[in-house]
Amino acid sequence: MASTYKYPEDYISWFIKGNHLAIVTLKGNDSTSTHSKYGQYKPIDEAVTNGILIHYQAEPNAVSAITDTPDVDNVFHTCLIDYVKARLYQDKAGSSADAGISGVSMNLAAMHEGKWNEAVKRNGMQKRDKTGGDRRVAMPDFT
Amino acid sequence: MAVHSLTIKKIISRVRQAFPNAPENYIMNLVNEAIVELGKYATKIEYAKATTVADQQWYTLSDANAGVEINKVFRVDFMDSSGTYVKIPRLVNNEIPTMDID
Repeated sequence: MASTYKYPEDYISWFIKGNHLAIVTLKGNDSTSTHSKYGQYKPIDEAVTNGILIHYQAEPNAVSAITDTPDVDNVFHTCLIDYVKARLYQDKAGSSADAGISGVSMNLAAMHEGKWNEAVKRNGMQKRDKTGGDRRVAMPDFT
Repeated sequence: MAVHSLTIKKIISRVRQAFPNAPENYIMNLVNEAIVELGKYATKIEYAKATTVADQQWYTLSDANAGVEINKVFRVDFMDSSGTYVKIPRLVNNEIPTMDID
């Protein structure tokens, strides 16, 4: 079914609770009814095929074959090696009976963990919208 | 295609420089763990469409419902009477008086 809302932005709102998206409307046709009148939020009153378009940050896909490429930006690919090595050095430290090997492994695990954390923070926090530069040039007023 | 990217095979070969006997599946599991952690950041922006049901307030954001894995919704549009998607506002104070459990 198609929508009958000419200006949906004036009536319909959304919000999130846990893993659920709520779509509510202010539209109501009974001015005397209890809690269903115009101006009160209530469930969306129309069935609209593909009526909602949701923009979201998605979970990257898991890898399952050695030919796969990790489903994240390529700036993160080299730091994945650091993550793997950190875990493997931790395993080695835990399984080795030699205190010297354990100590060196723990140090290397900490080094790779640090490199991983640094790379994730540096590349993960930056804006990834592929645009940059000045938004506005503010000229000084000499008068 | 990106200028330079690493396949799992290349990642395994680099890891095996230090750990020649590291199992392939174990390395792949660790890579998947790392990818889950990277998913906390806005590394992958997607969109999906969903169909509304009359008098239904809640729509599940999960794999089973729409075939998508959503971390954070940042914008929702609703189709107007001419078929155009229009941004609808987010209700910050969502303590509305009526509630539906569907």
